[in-house]
Amino acid sequence: MKENMRDKTTQNEGTAQCACPIISSNDFSFYYGTTMGVKNITMNINPCSVTAIIGPSGCGKSTFLRSINRMNDLIPGVRAEGKLVVDGQDIYDKRVNLVNLRQQVGMVFQKPNPFPKSIFDNVAYGPRLQGITNRTALDEIIEQSLKASALWEEVKDNLRKSALALSGGQQQRLCIARALATKPRVLLMDEPCSALDPLATGKIEDLISQLKDNYTIVIVTHNMQQAARVSEMTAFFCLGELIEYDVTSKIFENPSNKKTEDYITGRFG
Amino acid sequence: MRPGIRIAIDKIFTVVAGASVVCLCLVLVAVLGPMLWRGGSAVVFKGTVEFRQMQLVLFGRGDEDKIVAESKQAQIARAKIYSTIERFKGGIDSGNLIEKARQIYRQFGNDLRQTNMSAEDVAELRSVTRQIRDRLESAFASSNTAEVNESLAYVLNFKDDPRFKNTSAAGLIGLAEQYSKDIQGINLAERQRYYQEIRQVEDILVELLGPAPGAATPALMMNRFGATRWDLAQKLLGRLLWYEEWIKQGPEQPMIRRLTPRSQRFAGTEIEGLFTYIQQNLPEMLRPRPTFYWQYFIDDSTPGHYFGGVGPEILGTLLLTVLAMLFVVPFGVISAAYLVECASDNFVMRIIRMSINTLAGVPSIIFGLFGLAFFVLFFLPIFGAPSKGCILAASMTLAVLTLPVMIRASEEAIRAVPQTYKEASLALGASRFHTFVKVTLPAALPGILTGVILSLSRVAGETAPVLFTGAVALGPVPKSIFDPTRTLSYGSYDMAVGDKLAAMVPHNQFGMVVTLVLLILCLNTVAIILRSRVFKKLAGH
Amino acid sequence: MPAADSHRPLVLTPTEDIRGFLTLHLGRAALFLVTCTSVLAVFLIFLFVIREALPFLAKFSIKEFLTSTAWYPEAVTPKFGTLALLVGSGYVTVVSIIFAVPVGILAAVFLSDIVSMKIRNIIKPIIEILAAIPSVAYGFFAVMVLAPWMQQKFGFSTGTNALNASLVLAVMALPTIISVSEDSISAIGRELREASYGCGATRMETIFKVVIPAAHSGIIAGIVLGMMRAIGETMVVWMASGNAAQIPSPWWDLSQSVRTLTATIAGDMGETEKGSPHYRALFAAGLLLLVITLCLNMVSEYFLIRAKKAGGKH
Repeated sequence: MKENMRDKTTQNEGTAQCACPIISSNDFSFYYGTTMGVKNITMNINPCSVTAIIGPSGCGKSTFLRSINRMNDLIPGVRAEGKLVVDGQDIYDKRVNLVNLRQQVGMVFQKPNPFPKSIFDNVAYGPRLQGITNRTALDEIIEQSLKASALWEEVKDNLRKSALALSGGQQQRLCIARALATKPRVLLMDEPCSALDPLATGKIEDLISQLKDNYTIVIVTHNMQQAARVSEMTAFFCLGELIEYDVTSKIFENPSNKKTEDYITGRFG
Repeated sequence: MRPGIRIAIDKIFTVVAGASVVCLCLVLVAVLGPMLWRGGSAVVFKGTVEFRQMQLVLFGRGDEDKIVAESKQAQIARAKIYSTIERFKGGIDSGNLIEKARQIYRQFGNDLRQTNMSAEDVAELRSVTRQIRDRLESAFASSNTAEVNESLAYVLNFKDDPRFKNTSAAGLIGLAEQYSKDIQGINLAERQRYYQEIRQVEDILVELLGPAPGAATPALMMNRFGATRWDLAQKLLGRLLWYEEWIKQGPEQPMIRRLTPRSQRFAGTEIEGLFTYIQQNLPEMLRPRPTFYWQYFIDDSTPGHYFGGVGPEILGTLLLTVLAMLFVVPFGVISAAYLVECASDNFVMRIIRMSINTLAGVPSIIFGLFGLAFFVLFFLPIFGAPSKGCILAASMTLAVLTLPVMIRASEEAIRAVPQTYKEASLALGASRFHTFVKVTLPAALPGILTGVILSLSRVAGETAPVLFTGAVALGPVPKSIFDPTRTLSYGSYDMAVGDKLAAMVPHNQFGMVVTLVLLILCLNTVAIILRSRVFKKLAGH
Repeated sequence: MPAADSHRPLVLTPTEDIRGFLTLHLGRAALFLVTCTSVLAVFLIFLFVIREALPFLAKFSIKEFLTSTAWYPEAVTPKFGTLALLVGSGYVTVVSIIFAVPVGILAAVFLSDIVSMKIRNIIKPIIEILAAIPSVAYGFFAVMVLAPWMQQKFGFSTGTNALNASLVLAVMALPTIISVSEDSISAIGRELREASYGCGATRMETIFKVVIPAAHSGIIAGIVLGMMRAIGETMVVWMASGNAAQIPSPWWDLSQSVRTLTATIAGDMGETEKGSPHYRALFAAGLLLLVITLCLNMVSEYFLIRAKKAGGKH
């Protein structure tokens, strides 16, 4: 715990001092074949913060998010230009260790997607990949992760149950726990609440505000209220471009760009 | 056109379309119904005491004491048949009697040489005896009653002759006495016919009741037992009771069949009553009892499948299919994985896809030719194995045959796994290989399994590819994969067309094919159930 | 809970890099090789069938092989004319398709357009069972049940004849025709049907004037696939067609016996000596059959691709 505290302080100091960002994108463009996904994105994301990305559908916000842990590589014919640096390393460098990158940059998807396995096996999937097979160690990680994702109390008695038997909200929290179990530094969330009811959404939002003390969270959302509630910084994307990136309160109260204002006030999107 | 007519035509169309589907269902019933019904009777039927004896002798099954006791009781009921026929044959089987008379005469001659009678006495006695013998022979051979009676009377004159008292020649007199008794009530004119027809009756009786007591054990296993099944016994009884003739109606016209009661053919003789006796006492003689012969599925059979079951065929079929699956599943799954996970749309891929489609369209007999030319004549000799059809060659041929089925099924199963599973795993830092093995494959497994079962059922039913590569109709149970084997599919063909003996046991013909069909339908049912459950599960997402 | 207590380098070490590169490409190559088994199989099938047939084709006249009706392989001067066998194969195939197509299309339409999902789910397994019954069982049915029945009912001189074989082949081709046609008919979207109904057409008119024309590629593909199943079928024709190598005359008399290529190969191969002209001739017949099915396969492929495009458009 103590260590934890110290860790936090150093990181906070880091943020305050040099503003050396954990994710920094410099003139980053991403193409699907010949069609452009996002273009010329330049933004820095600080550690231990919540950054929201908002924008109309098809504006490239998911593309950008998925570029951060190179999930877009799955699609054939994609290409990236410019620089996207995570933790001091350009992740589109040839020599990047994708496995380690994805372990450090966890992801939570739009629809809850637990594996058709038990709750335990779902959370243990990541740690097992890192070679942790010791049962006590696994138990500890799983308890920590489930507690961190506020699911522990609900499932601690039947960890052997199939994950598919959980409710949608629980499944999504399980997915967060699964992502946390690999001990990432960054957590990417791709509209994590869009498939959930308001109650479950509330729980996830509470969770996000708890998690931001320890993790850098980037969240893509359609829901502007949500962005306003949970995030410290907000980026507004439109047509593959970054229109405005600023402190959340500023974006929502006093946007500097006309397009942002139109979108916020509901004139388009 | 008026709307009314249009609607009416529409209705008719609906009915016709429905009728086509109903027609399909009827075809299914027509194909499966007779097979199931008649094939089922290979397993569930009324078994006779002969069946239980056969089981005891061939497979050492059942309580020996009980069966022996039961068969003794049956023999008591049968005894009357044999004694009646014996007596009747005594009257008509003249050849046998003539031989007997000659034997007695020779014996008597030998006896005479050892007595101390004078030579003249001996010569006279000999001539008298020879005369008696000759008259007796003529009586036996003749079909004229008056002549016979006259000859017999001549012989019986010597009945009280002291010269023959206590000599072997008295046997001749005895024969005459017996014969005069036997031929009472027999129309001697019909003797030849009687002789032939009683032989027929005896032949049928051998089929019905087994070899007569005291007769030598027949060489062929199929002749050692009577009717083992009550339905067969009924059929034989029909043949016993009714005499069948084919009558020519005239030139250029087909012959027609006429049945007459056999008792009529023997009217006035002792045999006449025998048929009613057999008819009434058949249950007593055969003791039918409902039998559930589940061992049909494990028993070996006698040649022509006359007795026994389909055990070696089932074993052979399973061996072939399981081996074929062992060959094809790794190739099928890996190919499917490559096609889904790694393939891009280029020229090489198109060639591969085209090959798979071509392979799926090749007729099964071509696989038979290929198996013969490649595996049997080329591949096996390379490894020093004998170049003949064997289980290994047949199963490899079947593996090639089912490869496209396997690839398509696995590909479909792997594609059906939601992309989100893969993404989740990759996002957690798993490699693509790890993701495939740990996430995609387990999720696709039920689908792949369905494909495996479907290929299994296809392979089990294939006949043409194994014709020249490893299936035989007759032969021992294989000892290694380098031996040929019997299979259900080839056995079904052989019993329907090739084997004349099998036509005598239709229940076994149908039993073989129904075993094959049931095996395949069971596999398919499992596959259908499995698939619907998979779809439900994946649809839940 | 501590975040990222184990810092892992984001950059690969050179060894890791090389190892990853090698495993990726070697693994890919291995998988690719396995996948090429199918290509290899097709190649070997052609190679070995041709290899066994080649001496025959070199020695005997191909023209006679294709145009003579005299098939006397065991005669003193053997004659190998496959025309009667080819005609026999074509004959039973065409007749069976004539039986199967109307029933098949009607059943496909019935399943896709007329009945509810529930009844469809009952009928589909029935069709699957029809498809699953092995050919030898159909042959058995033809010989043991259908042939005596036909002989008795219609007074044919023999129950194993072209009609018997064609009927059973029709039943065997039906599941293929139905499932492929039904897939393509179902792939035609609801919009087209609604447009037709909206114009006041009855169901039959919609089906015949809109749905079937739109789905014709798939239906043709189904029919060709059914034909392939019928022409390549061995056991049924061997058991049920009577096996007399003759061209039926008059041509419409279905009660005559015929003999097909497949049945000839299956029936004769067991009696020939390996390497004899007869044996080689059977491989040549196999090659002929292979070429025919390959052509049919290409036709079906062409129509299936067209059907897929048509289905995707709507």
